[in-house]
Amino acid sequence: MAILCDKNSKVMVQGITGGAGKFHTERMIGYGTNIVGGVTPGKGGQVVCERPVFDTVAECVKATSADVSVIFLPAQFVKEAAIEAIRSGIKFVVVIPEHIPIHDMLYVREEAIKHGTTVIGGNTAGLITPGEANLGIMPDIAFQPGKVGTVSRSASITYYVADTLTRTGYGETSCIGLGGDPVLGSTFAEILLKFEEDEKTKAVVMCGEIGGVYEELAAEVIPSMKTPVLAMIGGVHAPMGKRMGHAGAIVEGKMGTALDKLNMLDKAGAHPCKTFLDIPDTLKKLGI
Amino acid sequence: MRLYEFEGKQLFKKFKIPVMESRLASNPDDVYNAFSEFNIPVVLKSQVLTGGRGKAGGIQFAEGANEARTKATELFKLTIKDFPVEKVLIEPKIEIKQEYYIGITIDRAKYKLVVIASGEGGVDIEETAEKSPDKIVKFPISINEDLYTFDALLIAKKIGIPQELIKQGASIIQNLLKMFKAYDAKLAEINPLVLTSDGKLIAADARVSLDDDATFRHKDLAELNVEHRHEEGEMTEREKQATEWGIPYLDLDGNIGMFPGGAGFGIMGNDFIHHFGGKPANFMDSGGGPSPERIANMLVLLEENPNVKVICGARFGGISRCDDFAKGVLMFLNNHGLTKPMVFRMTGNMWQEGVRLFEEAKAADPDMFKQIEFHGIETPIEEITKRAVEIAQEVGT
Repeated sequence: MAILCDKNSKVMVQGITGGAGKFHTERMIGYGTNIVGGVTPGKGGQVVCERPVFDTVAECVKATSADVSVIFLPAQFVKEAAIEAIRSGIKFVVVIPEHIPIHDMLYVREEAIKHGTTVIGGNTAGLITPGEANLGIMPDIAFQPGKVGTVSRSASITYYVADTLTRTGYGETSCIGLGGDPVLGSTFAEILLKFEEDEKTKAVVMCGEIGGVYEELAAEVIPSMKTPVLAMIGGVHAPMGKRMGHAGAIVEGKMGTALDKLNMLDKAGAHPCKTFLDIPDTLKKLGI
Repeated sequence: MRLYEFEGKQLFKKFKIPVMESRLASNPDDVYNAFSEFNIPVVLKSQVLTGGRGKAGGIQFAEGANEARTKATELFKLTIKDFPVEKVLIEPKIEIKQEYYIGITIDRAKYKLVVIASGEGGVDIEETAEKSPDKIVKFPISINEDLYTFDALLIAKKIGIPQELIKQGASIIQNLLKMFKAYDAKLAEINPLVLTSDGKLIAADARVSLDDDATFRHKDLAELNVEHRHEEGEMTEREKQATEWGIPYLDLDGNIGMFPGGAGFGIMGNDFIHHFGGKPANFMDSGGGPSPERIANMLVLLEENPNVKVICGARFGGISRCDDFAKGVLMFLNNHGLTKPMVFRMTGNMWQEGVRLFEEAKAADPDMFKQIEFHGIETPIEEITKRAVEIAQEVGT
């Protein structure tokens, strides 16, 4: 079992003919991901990595029954590409590129909610369900099928957490990069609840960061979960960032320090970890 | 990207939000001349990218040209929270009857824009929000919706804009939202929106921040003479150099030079250093898929930073490939040279190729690697950071 994507998912790549698109499509196929086709407007009819290329997502979906899309396009094209995927019936969209304009992500989110689509990113390394599917740019070497789910803001943290879980024999069910951009397709809370529904996931490691607004929302759902949540927050020793004027303070409240966030998650019932090595120790204590 | 008040007001003008006529001055003589044009009492406002300028003495009033010049001379000597005053905005003084607050920002957790308004504008708006939240109107709105006039009217009424100005008040709110959307703003504030004693509404200040990631589609900002700038305050020389090279970098006060991969470990790695009893000299982020040149430049920043006693590196190749990482490190070693101990770990995409490049270079020139401890996936990252702390302690004594 896994969340959002497994070996039966039919995956398409938007921007498959570009440099990064092609390079990572090859890698994803090499991992065993079920890539069924790709889209680049104007390049319909071509073949890349032995997969058919279409001009539009609708055509790709019609011909291949794709239900997942990975986007490898420059940031300014992401809004249209993601909305196209969502309106064409794709149920899971992975936005790899970084620096997506914030307003664009708000439009994408409105569309995703309307259609019941899950979007992750921008600026995500993607998702990996070890042994089944690798969507995005994650390095295979860190991952191994197992029983712990992970969700993290940052790519490198995802790798280090998986690296630790793999080395200590726990392995992973699915690992999700939430993304590093200021406004993201999904929240920690939404991903945690998906792990909660997955029988094979015995615990979830979530790694937040200073400056985000999504850690606080996680604290609202953790008390309702049966699956234990381990939490790390980066930036306990980081200098406080600048906040966004009066309006930011009024809407988002006093921005939590990393330590505040960790305490809040602790209170909600999560198990705080300071280093990656605390993760296997905590799992052991939980009898996992 | 935060705009100066005078830049924000240009955008306001474009969207028919009423502002006073004004002149921008770069020296006291400009101020003198500007006064002569108005020839009525004026306000001199320091243009700085930070709040609290009024409390810092950055706003002065003058009733004559000489007084204006004298007061401007003092203003140009001011530094407000690390921001030296380089420009002063001159406007006719307004008689304030009432101050309102109108702001728009993004609620990232709810994925909505929020219009915020209050009948008690001015410098203490945050305190008002905290102590009397009932005096603040918050109106969330989806990005793909417009603010209807009837909603804007209700907001204007709730904050007490007088009946005879209610339609104008509503249109100011609507226009601010139009501007917010048209320019990819993250924040737009009119604080205060002033009701003058002769019964006019005037946006007396403008605070606008735009999304750096969207400036590519706002080429007209250059025509308005809005220049691109760093969001934060004054940078150190090293931070300026890093920015020029496209590397997110911050100086900190420790002695361990952090040479991470992405921002995630850039942040968490610093916590690990503290956890093991050390102090990082910097925060840094290579960005996704850095070129060998950028990798080399990251090391130049640390090598040339006299506070750095040891370099602690980590590369987990994802979109950033290990072969490019190795090429960058070797480029630095060959072209620049390393005088400090360095410990690093490299694994992830293309790690075999990265290791091969290092092995080859080491075979050719073992001396070049004398000060380098190199690890792969077998060593937990905690060991690397711990080792860097140990070396820093040895070298430090």
